[in-house]
Amino acid sequence: MRRSLTFLIFAALALAACAGVLGIRPHDQSHPFEHRAHATHGVNCVDCHQGVATAGDIEPLHLPTDASCRGCHQKPHDQHSCLGCHGAQYVREGAKLAREHLRFEHRAHQSATHGDCVRCHQAVAEEHPETLRPKMATCFGCHEHRDEWPLRTCDSCHKDLSAEDTPPTSHLIHDGDWLREHGVRAAGARDLCASCHSERSCAGCHGVGTVPALPAMLAFDEVPLSGLHRAGFVARHSMEARADPGLCTTCHSEDSCQGCHNREHVGPTTTSRSPHPPGWITTGAGGGDHGVQARIDPSSCAGCHGGAGEQLCVGCHRVGGPGGTPHGPGFRSNRNKTHDLPCRMCHGAGL
Amino acid sequence: MQPWVDAEALVWGGAKPSVTGDVLVLALRLRDPKGHAEVRGGRFVLATGAIRPVQMDGAEVTLRAPWGSALESFGGTPVVPRFGARPYDWLAGGRVSEKVGVHAILGVSYLQRRADGEISDHELGADAAFAPARWLDVAAFGAYDLTSPGIADARVSAASRFDKFRVEVFASELSPGRLLPATSLFSVLGDFPSETVGGTVKWLAAPRLDVLASGAGQDVGGGLGGNGWLRATLRLDDRGEGNLGLELRRVDVSTAEWTGIRGVAALPLGHGLRFSTEVEVVVPDHPVGNGIAWPWGLMALAYRSRSGWEAAGAVEASSTPLHAYETNALVRLSRRWEAP
Repeated sequence: MRRSLTFLIFAALALAACAGVLGIRPHDQSHPFEHRAHATHGVNCVDCHQGVATAGDIEPLHLPTDASCRGCHQKPHDQHSCLGCHGAQYVREGAKLAREHLRFEHRAHQSATHGDCVRCHQAVAEEHPETLRPKMATCFGCHEHRDEWPLRTCDSCHKDLSAEDTPPTSHLIHDGDWLREHGVRAAGARDLCASCHSERSCAGCHGVGTVPALPAMLAFDEVPLSGLHRAGFVARHSMEARADPGLCTTCHSEDSCQGCHNREHVGPTTTSRSPHPPGWITTGAGGGDHGVQARIDPSSCAGCHGGAGEQLCVGCHRVGGPGGTPHGPGFRSNRNKTHDLPCRMCHGAGL
Repeated sequence: MQPWVDAEALVWGGAKPSVTGDVLVLALRLRDPKGHAEVRGGRFVLATGAIRPVQMDGAEVTLRAPWGSALESFGGTPVVPRFGARPYDWLAGGRVSEKVGVHAILGVSYLQRRADGEISDHELGADAAFAPARWLDVAAFGAYDLTSPGIADARVSAASRFDKFRVEVFASELSPGRLLPATSLFSVLGDFPSETVGGTVKWLAAPRLDVLASGAGQDVGGGLGGNGWLRATLRLDDRGEGNLGLELRRVDVSTAEWTGIRGVAALPLGHGLRFSTEVEVVVPDHPVGNGIAWPWGLMALAYRSRSGWEAAGAVEASSTPLHAYETNALVRLSRRWEAP
């Protein structure tokens, strides 16, 4: 029974995966509207988009209806809605989003453009336009917004930029190895980041106790190639940490490993499995590999042995203890060794 | 909400193994509509200049001058999960920045953080961003530890775009001991920085095909190594809703030596349905009894309704050093509401 169910699930998923290739998925019959053909036949934009020249910020979109088309095309070739095929749905969706997110009045632009719509809507001349909305660069051709750039205020056009959730085509694109690069890029440009990204963009990864909200956990069905914590991260994590010492600490607190390790019974208690290889701690000179590895990436040690677990180290490495001094080359500190943490743990009581 | 105020909350809840939840964001932002002054309060992630991101309960004030100067000041308590609290934990600091011409921003930052009243982080930082030409961006920051004097974290990145390529060179130096709180016993082990120098190239090989390659040399505690990866993404339609991807990766640093391959596929099925799958195989050079390869795979089906509801389900299977075989079923039901 269980095998049959597993087979059925896999067969259904395989069929679903191939649906597009097999032709099960219905093809979208729509195509970009033939703006160029209409313009070359002398049809003015406002003949179909009636009322758009006097439209304000809140009026409807002034998209043509079937009745507008039948004004000229009196014998349509079938009875379906004209806009079902003529004009791509995503272009109309783009116009709706623009109405929703932007402060814009067509009527305010009539005198400057002398009623020439193509001056801004340049893409209507293209055969397969991605969008008919003017690009931001077109707006900046007239509206320089010089005073607003330094203050990162986009509100004169964008009602709520962070809610738009739309990467602008003519603006900053997060390409390359952005996961690694974003920190250094954001350091001097927090205002720029904040003009599109809200608080949750940072908190989803950089917050405390965010594991349930990590993109790899929450958006498991979205499978981009980038993302440190994606795929088999649980298997890789110790090697990822060793390959880039300190990297984990840039986001995680020093005790963030303990929750998982306790659940998986990996840790220092007698009933747990040790993650350390043979020869980690030995008696005699050198004391095994643990000293060298701890100096290379002390944050890995702190992940499990931080807090109260530090007493494990103090037992041997306190002043006069058998472990000797833990301070390696390059160690300098401004702390008072008998009063401040962590110095007093080993140097306390006049040691 | 209004041009001068916005509020945001992000809360999660779960039931594994017991009912739990937390507040990630609960923030209110007030600002002068002209952008000259801004106050942020509540729970949020503070990240500015060379100060590493820290989630805090507190407030931040930002003042900006029209000529490009800005002053940020903040104070509060670091967040403890699930509204816990630690007495005498607090942090405070600020950043001053200046825009130089139209091509550069320079900033200086300061942070002091205390744990149980004792200094746990005490850093001075500097950051800079230059765009001297349309084809070149350079950004850098460095944080200097004032408790154990030395560089805690420094990074620089320079990127250039031309034709169908984007090339980035980067370098970083991290001192893991200085990234830990100064109150940690593990912060006293000495200065063994981890240094990395590398580059990344992105090539738009075809309108729907991106190829990305990256390689870096590393000096980890005196041991030399390196890592590199090659990644290709093919979009199956102009909008990228369907895509195929493949990644090859090799890491050879310190005691981390492994090779990995990962593939992803996402296919829109129409009617709001979307199928996606992701497969990875990691082959460690020294498996030490934990299996010669660690495979991981996931198949997911998601549905998005026109009313805003989303449902997704997935089956995940893997073999890890801890478990020879493990399967998980994942389900998500979500709905997005937005206040006017």
